[in-house]
Amino acid sequence: MSNFLQYTVFGIMLGAGYAIAATGLVVTYTTSGVFNFAQGAVGMIAAFSYWELVTAHHVPILVALVIILILGASIAGAFVERVLMRRLHGASAERPVMVTLGLMVILTGLAAIIWSPSTQRTVGYMINGQFRLVGINIEYQYALIIGVATAVAIGLRALFYGTRTGYALRAVVDDPELVAMSGASPNRMSQYGWILGFMMAALAGVLLASTQTTGLNIEAMTLLVVSGYAAAIVGRLKNIAVTFIAAVGIGLLENYVINYVLPHLPQSFVPDVTVALPMVFLFIALVMLPSVRLRAVGRLTTMRAPRVASGWESLVAGGVFFVVAGAAALVFDNTAFKGTTVLTLGGVVMTLGIVGLSLVLVTGYSGQVSLCQFSFMGIGAFVMGKVAGGGSLLGLLAATAVCAGVGALIALPTIRLRDLYLALATFAFADAVATGFFTDTHIYGSGGVNVGRIVLPGLTFGGDSAEFLMVTAFFVLAAWMVLAIRRSLFGRRLVALNDSPAAYATVGLNIGFTKVAVFAIAAGMAGLAGALYGTVQQTVGTSDFDIFPGIIFVLFVTIWSIRSVSGAFLAALTYVVLNQLWPSGLGLFAGIGIILIGRAAGGILGIEAIQLHLPWVKRGAAEVREKSAASIGSAAIFGSGTRAAG
Amino acid sequence: MQPAEGGAAAPAVLTVSEVGVHFGGVAALTHVSLRVLPGTVTGLIGPNGAGKTTLFNVISGLQSPDRGSVHLFDTDITTMKPHRRARLGLARTFQRLELFGSLTAGENVQVGLESAVKWWEWRHLGRSFPRKRRAARPGETEDGDHEPGGLGSVAVATSDRLLDGVGLQGLGGQQASAMSTGLARMVELARALAIGPKLLLLDEPGSGLDEAESKALADLLVRLAAGGMAVLLVEHDMELVMGICDYIYVLDFGDIIAAGTPEEIRKDPMVQAAYLGAMPDGDRVPDRGAVREGEAELQRIATGAGRDGPPRGAPGVEPGGGR
Repeated sequence: MSNFLQYTVFGIMLGAGYAIAATGLVVTYTTSGVFNFAQGAVGMIAAFSYWELVTAHHVPILVALVIILILGASIAGAFVERVLMRRLHGASAERPVMVTLGLMVILTGLAAIIWSPSTQRTVGYMINGQFRLVGINIEYQYALIIGVATAVAIGLRALFYGTRTGYALRAVVDDPELVAMSGASPNRMSQYGWILGFMMAALAGVLLASTQTTGLNIEAMTLLVVSGYAAAIVGRLKNIAVTFIAAVGIGLLENYVINYVLPHLPQSFVPDVTVALPMVFLFIALVMLPSVRLRAVGRLTTMRAPRVASGWESLVAGGVFFVVAGAAALVFDNTAFKGTTVLTLGGVVMTLGIVGLSLVLVTGYSGQVSLCQFSFMGIGAFVMGKVAGGGSLLGLLAATAVCAGVGALIALPTIRLRDLYLALATFAFADAVATGFFTDTHIYGSGGVNVGRIVLPGLTFGGDSAEFLMVTAFFVLAAWMVLAIRRSLFGRRLVALNDSPAAYATVGLNIGFTKVAVFAIAAGMAGLAGALYGTVQQTVGTSDFDIFPGIIFVLFVTIWSIRSVSGAFLAALTYVVLNQLWPSGLGLFAGIGIILIGRAAGGILGIEAIQLHLPWVKRGAAEVREKSAASIGSAAIFGSGTRAAG
Repeated sequence: MQPAEGGAAAPAVLTVSEVGVHFGGVAALTHVSLRVLPGTVTGLIGPNGAGKTTLFNVISGLQSPDRGSVHLFDTDITTMKPHRRARLGLARTFQRLELFGSLTAGENVQVGLESAVKWWEWRHLGRSFPRKRRAARPGETEDGDHEPGGLGSVAVATSDRLLDGVGLQGLGGQQASAMSTGLARMVELARALAIGPKLLLLDEPGSGLDEAESKALADLLVRLAAGGMAVLLVEHDMELVMGICDYIYVLDFGDIIAAGTPEEIRKDPMVQAAYLGAMPDGDRVPDRGAVREGEAELQRIATGAGRDGPPRGAPGVEPGGGR
């Protein structure tokens, strides 16, 4: 009985920590309509700052808290709202997701530079000692976390439902113009929301830091709040009381499962199940959510869609690309760059290019954000290595099929919901697969999975040149297929779904089916890329498919252009080159890049001034379109009258 | 507010019964009932915030009602998903434009046309192979702003015909987001017609149109109705509504306060009060009996006595062809 009570208190404490972070998410979402993926990273920075001040420099705890929470978090929150988020008003739905992800990788990158991961850092309790209650010893620190979380939830509830400012904070997302008419500044309200959200994240980070008995870890602290995401979703990202209760419930459940269920499982499963729990909770939360109704967005996509190459053009371009790659294979044979042969790096570029193409399909065309394409790569490489002894065509097919199936399973629970939830589901999936599957030596092997090179009767791809040309051929085929899909009826549907889901449904098209189909195709492509990546590297390691590199690569594709084949290739090329030159700076490049690109949905390649200098963009097309657009305003309709409105 | 069902009467295309919708503590719709008959243009008018768009959302499936039911012919569609309602022949346009802005006007229409193509019908992939290029139409660019579904396909030809029908001859190649509001509304209308609707819901289609264009729109709607289509029209242009509607419902504060022919509505003191702020004699509640009598008149119109001239369909449009 005393064990049960002990587990209960610890579970409530854990849940209280999640609750603080989750309510911060809710506050930010309620006041700005943005789900802050950097919430965990802000908490991580706060935890490390707390260690720096209190442990390393012996600053009094209260002073440290004032510096971190009152000064640091509030200024950072106001800065992020003013500089990063405000200019995204009216941008496409995936853009705030990308920018907050960019912020996350910047913060984790900075943390890695400031606080070397090789140093062990532990944070002590703010209040030492225990007290006895109902027959068990309870740490004062636990009581502090529970008390602070409760006070925060009550305080926020009172603010949001009992004050004029609170009403304005809640109303600002629904109708900023009405808020302005009532005398409040919508921008100011959003800024308050971001400040509060950052303060909650920092508070959660500081309080939970002491529970990290093995020391502070940048990635672990950043991802600690995934359970908080589940709680925020149960609260439907708007209800603070429900979010708080859900967070405490999740904390309890997590602790009960760890202490009562896991001991009865084979020991080899324990670490996997432990790390998978937040994802399981998140999935349960997603499945239990009621369907959201389709809203007419009432705005027209104003971005000009990139021109889609015709069938002949893509065939010719693919042929030229392959010939250039062949020439590169001759020139760079046996040449090394930073310790790796150029052709191996080239093979990696091509495989990542296929992952980029899958992102073009799923995010660029249909507008759904997937953060787990690297996870599919990892699964694909694993399947490739295990089927028919590795290095077989059957393995390629199996990798593609398995990943397509897994992709459909991930997309299914979220099709009734807003696209944000798919991004969250893929985030949780990437986290769980990275920590629970790829790093498990029982499954993935301590030295990674041996994939080997593809061998066909009478044909071998053992040499780097042959392997490079083979994966290049796959990249060209994948690019051709993506363009063929875009030109097809299905591709047109993807773009239509992205532009207006409400109109899409009311012309008789099934949103759910389209979403699952495109997600499954993209997952299959990423699985194929993973299998090919395995043949290039011959052995894939446990850290090759981490969540952070996966997110950074998504940002690279977005920066170049997530709507074009060229963007996918250039993203892969720059990612691989930068990874060779300065691996720890990748996150900073990606984060700063996505912030600079801001709301430009077309990325670097979509910028008009740059398009004019691209050899593969047809000259004059833009001018013709401009003229056509100008002439529309005076075109007659119904054969009579003219109009200039619009 | 249920109209009497006569033995020889035409069955209603749309029957809305006692529908209620609440947003938190606010009642957007209370007990709304109405019927729309085939071959008629039915108006739905009311001040801003009366609940017209909410009712459209309930009918088209974008909003679930808290109470009441919606029937398309004899099929209860109250809980049906929007795309399934569309496949039964229910099409709509939006008060705020909901075009596929990245696509051309022609492609917008083709998406509607092709909504019946199932995923296993991979024929369309074949169309993405290059074929002999035809000459560019007026308004199209030479560089390949072609329809991705394949040149000369049935979908392209039909979409051109539909665009012609709403007065957008030669504009199929223009990107929708670059079009003026008036033209974009017509693209939205053509896209709605593309699914071959039996019931067409139009949410302020005349907004942004000048006088000549409104007149052309009125002609088009009358022709569509004459072809057998049922049209439910939300519109603030009273001249347009009074000119073409066979029957009008007036919505205020989420409830039907009056229903009748345009002439009856014009004279109704409740309507005048709702629009002009003048109070009728006493605190009169909506006279549901009068509404019922009015609906009998609507029935009469639908069975053929209320329209001049032979029925004519709009060019390129085959009303009642819903799947």
